[in-house]
Amino acid sequence: MIDHDAIDELLAGYVLQSLTGEDATAADRLLIDHVPECTDCLATLDAFQGLTGDIALVAEPATVPDTLVPRLHRSLDGRRSRRMPAWHPGRLVAAAAAAVALIGVAGLAITQVDGGTGSQLLTQADLQQVTDVANRNDATVTPLGAAEEVTAPGLEEIYLRGTGVPTPPAGSTYRLWAISPAGAATYVGDFVPDAGAILFEISIDPTAVDHLLITVAPAGSDPGEPEQPVPWAAAS
Amino acid sequence: MHDPGEDLELHRRLLGGDRTAFDELYRRYASQAYGLAYRVTGQQILAQDVVHDAFLALWRAPEAFDEHRGSFRTFFLSMVHHRGVDLVRREQRLRARTEKAANLEPVTDEDPADAVADAGYLSVRRKEVREAMTELPDPQRQVLEMAYFDGKTQVQIAEELAIPLGTVKTRTLAAMRKLRLALQETG
Repeated sequence: MIDHDAIDELLAGYVLQSLTGEDATAADRLLIDHVPECTDCLATLDAFQGLTGDIALVAEPATVPDTLVPRLHRSLDGRRSRRMPAWHPGRLVAAAAAAVALIGVAGLAITQVDGGTGSQLLTQADLQQVTDVANRNDATVTPLGAAEEVTAPGLEEIYLRGTGVPTPPAGSTYRLWAISPAGAATYVGDFVPDAGAILFEISIDPTAVDHLLITVAPAGSDPGEPEQPVPWAAAS
Repeated sequence: MHDPGEDLELHRRLLGGDRTAFDELYRRYASQAYGLAYRVTGQQILAQDVVHDAFLALWRAPEAFDEHRGSFRTFFLSMVHHRGVDLVRREQRLRARTEKAANLEPVTDEDPADAVADAGYLSVRRKEVREAMTELPDPQRQVLEMAYFDGKTQVQIAEELAIPLGTVKTRTLAAMRKLRLALQETG
């Protein structure tokens, strides 16, 4: 029997970002395993999430410093092109021919939020290139739940591909981390699969990475530190 | 006046990379976002970072907003809040709160056109939200404000108030349910 009062307690704490420890882990699991399939919980989550926008109005509006607009415009001008990764025409044709395996790849949403360290690490990959690498005899293809990590000797990047990846809960995003052999976590970027498909290039030297980690986080939040991996991405 | 329908139209244009739509959304929400970020972080420089990064995230991933799940206003201000809390927790050492929110310049110092814009939809909703908050029993409002504006975890709140963690959870849920009901009725 599902205790929706207990779930609502977790959802209330979740949207306020006030959960820690076991409660945070339980909420993450609920958001993956139960909430997406439960209309009541989805409605509660959306309503509570909306309240966090409403409560904002309790704070007095304040005059924004004059320096913010030019700073923001500089950032916008400098980053506008990242929304449309460059595709080599030849590869685009090849990728289109192979797109039967990964529907909707062109619509992948990569939404790094730190504006700095992670912003250059995660880009949409070239499908044909990933396929070629995976087919090499010396390639290493590591299962990562519904996804696969693909790399090969001599490469300076890692690829992540997958289908059947569940959509993250409303208001959330998947967050990708690279974990070094020493256990240090590097934030790579945020993403949302399109029709369950993911296909990414991670610009990190594979020899510096022990494994990849995928967590779920509120969309637009700062990366902070990685928490529990999402169940679908648990290493096999 | 901040018509939610106009927000949706601006968001649709934003999806197509329309910079003027972005600028208009900035004009509509920057003051509120900055006031919120300042209230949460207690530092003007941190508040600027929060607002900058929130608008940048909006520009770079406007598809993160789903109009079927709520209004643009609540989506965006919720994002600002999340980023504010995240930043506070990362920058605890900077949280001396030497600047008090009471010293912040009031919005009336802004361009009169902005003040007029805020006098519409946002100010009406602000009044509703504040009334709903006032209606909450003090213990419930207290835990909600500690979590929301102070960025405290439920464990920290329990320790600070010397009450069981379960009581914090219960009060938080009760507050959220009452607010949901009150604001559904008015909104």
